[in-house]
Amino acid sequence: MSKMTLTTEGDRYVVVTRRFAASPELVYRAHTEPELIKQWMLGPDGWTMPVCISEARPGGRIRYEWTDGTGAGFYLTGEYIELAPFTRTVHVERMHLPDPTPDNRVETRFEPQGTGTLMTMRMTLPDAKTRAAMLATGMEHGMEAGYVRLETMLGAPSAQR
Amino acid sequence: MELAEPFEMTQPAISRHLKVLEDAGLIARRVDGTRRPCRLQEEGMQPVEEWLVMLRKAMTRNFERLDKVLAALQAGRKRKGAK
Repeated sequence: MSKMTLTTEGDRYVVVTRRFAASPELVYRAHTEPELIKQWMLGPDGWTMPVCISEARPGGRIRYEWTDGTGAGFYLTGEYIELAPFTRTVHVERMHLPDPTPDNRVETRFEPQGTGTLMTMRMTLPDAKTRAAMLATGMEHGMEAGYVRLETMLGAPSAQR
Repeated sequence: MELAEPFEMTQPAISRHLKVLEDAGLIARRVDGTRRPCRLQEEGMQPVEEWLVMLRKAMTRNFERLDKVLAALQAGRKRKGAK
């Protein structure tokens, strides 16, 4: 399925589009209501979001905390700037790795398309230092998932013994 | 010197531009007598690509999960509507 596109716009922005088989209202709610956000915004398998604050009003706080269940984790904080229910949100966010990354302004649009929704997110392309910090964190997580897979593979033949 | 020829810029100005590219990891310069040959460092561009690949992976996985969350919400609505 190639429902998602991810492109750079100049050397400063990243634009992501994705189609969903649900109304703009539902897609918007899934991006702004904590009980829904924590069900899907998790990154690699095995991670959870035990803390999810999303105050969907101008000036409202955002705080997402992720954990892999073995003590590793990081968090993101931010603030909502504009919200137009079920069509558009603008917020700033920063990741704490553990040093805060520069503020990233994210604009998200939800447009009806047929019986579904076309979502378009436009965000700042982080600078080299931020990308390196994010990659280092991502590597840790990716490797964690890799180890689990390896253990599963190694575990399979021994179970047959 | 050779790099400066096509441009209407002074040699020191060219040097400053090259310094910026070198600091960004996009070119490498070495010393060869009085010459300072430059070469492109393609790997200097790689971190952006690597980062985009990571972002694409994370978002693809997230949105697959979101598809399921949305399907469950719609199913819940239909059940309510049927009552």
